[in-house]
This record gives sequence, C-alpha cells and structure tokens, in this order.
Amino acid sequence: MQETVFNVLADLALKATGQAIPPSRAYLMEARLAPLARREGFGTLADLVHCLESRQNPVFRNEVASALLTHDTWFFRERAVFDTVINAILPERLDATQSGRLRVWCAGGSTGQEAYSLAMLLEDEPGASLRSAKIEILSTDYCKYSTEKARLGVYNHYEAQRGLSIFRLMKHFNRMDSGDWQANETIRSRVSFRQHNLMETASGLGKFDLIFCRHVLSGMSKAARMRVAEVLVAQMAPGAVILLGEGETFQGLTDLLEPARDIRQGWVAAGTANRAAA
Amino acid sequence: MRTCLIVDDSRVVRKVASRIVRDLGFSVTEAGDGAEALKMCRESMPDAILLDWNMPTMNGIDFLRALRREEGGKVPRIVFCSIENDPEHINEALRSGADEFIMKPFDADILESKFAEVGLI
Repeated sequence: MQETVFNVLADLALKATGQAIPPSRAYLMEARLAPLARREGFGTLADLVHCLESRQNPVFRNEVASALLTHDTWFFRERAVFDTVINAILPERLDATQSGRLRVWCAGGSTGQEAYSLAMLLEDEPGASLRSAKIEILSTDYCKYSTEKARLGVYNHYEAQRGLSIFRLMKHFNRMDSGDWQANETIRSRVSFRQHNLMETASGLGKFDLIFCRHVLSGMSKAARMRVAEVLVAQMAPGAVILLGEGETFQGLTDLLEPARDIRQGWVAAGTANRAAA
Repeated sequence: MRTCLIVDDSRVVRKVASRIVRDLGFSVTEAGDGAEALKMCRESMPDAILLDWNMPTMNGIDFLRALRREEGGKVPRIVFCSIENDPEHINEALRSGADEFIMKPFDADILESKFAEVGLI
C-alpha cells in the first residue's frame, strides 16, 4: 500500500473512531476495505482515498471508518461476566436505587449479541427481585450497518451458533426462510439500538446503572481511550458499574474510576469501591 | 484424556471434525455409520459423541435412541451435527436424547462453543 494512502486512512480511523492503526497492520486495512472498495467499484484503495478526500460525504466516511473497526463479537462472550451481572450487579443496583428500574448501556455493542445475551438471561433466569423490575437495555455503535443489523436481530448460521446453546436458539429465535435466525419479538422488545460515536458526548442517552464497554478500548490510541473514559463516566448514575473486557483497564486513563471490589473487570466511581462493598 | 467418537459417513467431515476435536484435547475414534458406532460404544463408552443424521445402515436418530437405552448409554454428551436444520428436526434430535445440536457447515469456533455448552471443556 502506498504510504500516502495508508496515512489518509490511518488518519481517518484515528479522527473518527480513535483507532490507532500502525503501519505494520496495513495488510489488515486492505483486507477490511476490500469488500467496500469492490462494492463501490474502486479498482484500488488509492481510488477510494481519492473519492474520500474529494467528496466530503459523512455517510461514506462512516462506512470507511466502520470497515476499519473490529466488529467481531458473539453471544455470551466471557460468559462469567453475565452470571455476575444477573446474580450480583443488577440485583444489588436495584436494591440500592429502590426505583424498580435500571438502565443498561452496551457501549460499542457492535451487532447486538451482548445486548441480546442479557435480554435472554432476563427472560430465562431472573432472580426474584429482577422479575418485577423494568430493565432498559440500550446498545450503541459507531457503525451504521452494525446498528441496523442489531436492530433487525438477524444472525447467520455461524453467528447464531457462536456462544448460543441450541435450547436458547430454539427458544428465543425464529428460523427465516433464508436459513438465518431472527431474535423473537420478546427479546427484541427488551433492547433498543442507536448509532453513537463513543468519542462524542453521550449526554443525550441519559444516565446508566450498568455500562458494558468490552473490547472497545483495545485498538484505540491513549488519547482516545481517555476520551471514552470521560464520556462513559459522565453517563454513570450514582453507584453505577462499568464492565471492561478481559485484559482491559482504565488505569492511567482517568482518576475518576477505580476497580470494583468483587466484580471482575468492573469499575466504579473513585472512592466508592469500599463503600459499595460495605 | 477424554474421548470423542465421531460418527459420520463422510470421510472428509470426519477428518475435519477430528482435527478440531483433537485440538480441544480429546482422543478421537471414528465410525462411518450408527451400527458401527453402537458396536464401538459397547466396547468402550466415549465421553463425547459428535453425531451425523443421515447415514447408511443406521442413521443418527436411530443410533441415538438405541444408545440411550444401552447400559451406560446416558453417559456420553451427544452433540448432533446435521445439515437438517429446521426446528422440527432439531426438536426431534433433542427429544431423542441429544445434548446439543450443530447446524452444518460448522467451524472450530462453533464446535468449541457447543462443547463448552454441554460442559465437555
């Protein structure tokens, strides 16, 4: 790949979504953009970049920057986290807030598997306190296509089998004539989806009691990770918990959060970890 | 080492599945149809069985029903694996005693995820 072409694309990824793509991963860039370039009829990435620069089209910019992101996700990813959420975090939050309502945000929720996993758990195994609670689940992603796909709740043969037991598939999904599987009305009605860039304020989304932000920070520059931390902190309701992915941390990004006691990968407002556990 | 019996009339499918299951830490045996598989189970009951539906001599469903009636036949975790992927077929397999169901074609991620579902890994 020409250096100038790489630079334009790397710059777009950094500005739009905070992704830090090193030159050593130029091959990945080519692989990820190939389907988009083919669909739009560009012979080379240089043509695509030329179009990107000459036409200030935000939709096309979103498509290119989205194609450079990692979208990979699956149902019940890092399964233990979901057990903690359903058995500990949500009941504890419900007890503390006494409002009978909780709001959950899947920040960078890609194609929706995380949100639907939680919706299925709430259907299948809610503890006594959760059964009567109103729990709102909002999943957001930068990518327009992922957000639309998540909203439809349609998964192909491979996606529908990754992390999902056959019993849950049969219970919560309907097989379409195409052979794809669609989440049924019941779990779709528990979840909503919106397009949102985590680099921008989320004040319009309101406050949340639990925020999932898993495997979103990993590919980002430090400045971008700091920005995301700031955006997430601003949307925390009092006592809220943020869950990161395996191997991710807020250490060195913000002074406003500290690791939660007894919640693996969980983070809470600084100075409250011990109080929450008491 | 845990054992897995792969039952499929296609040598290619057996070969692909064997490779994945070995990588998950199982020792693998293979059978080309249900009758052969039943004979092998009577000699030594495996921990896991990956089972195809359509096979000559004895198909997967008949094998499954027969095995579950055998002494010790409830022990193996049985993962059905078929191209028949409509809800009717899936329900029939589950009613007949399958623990999980994989819709063909599958890949290593799916197989690993399904083995995890039934507590094999």
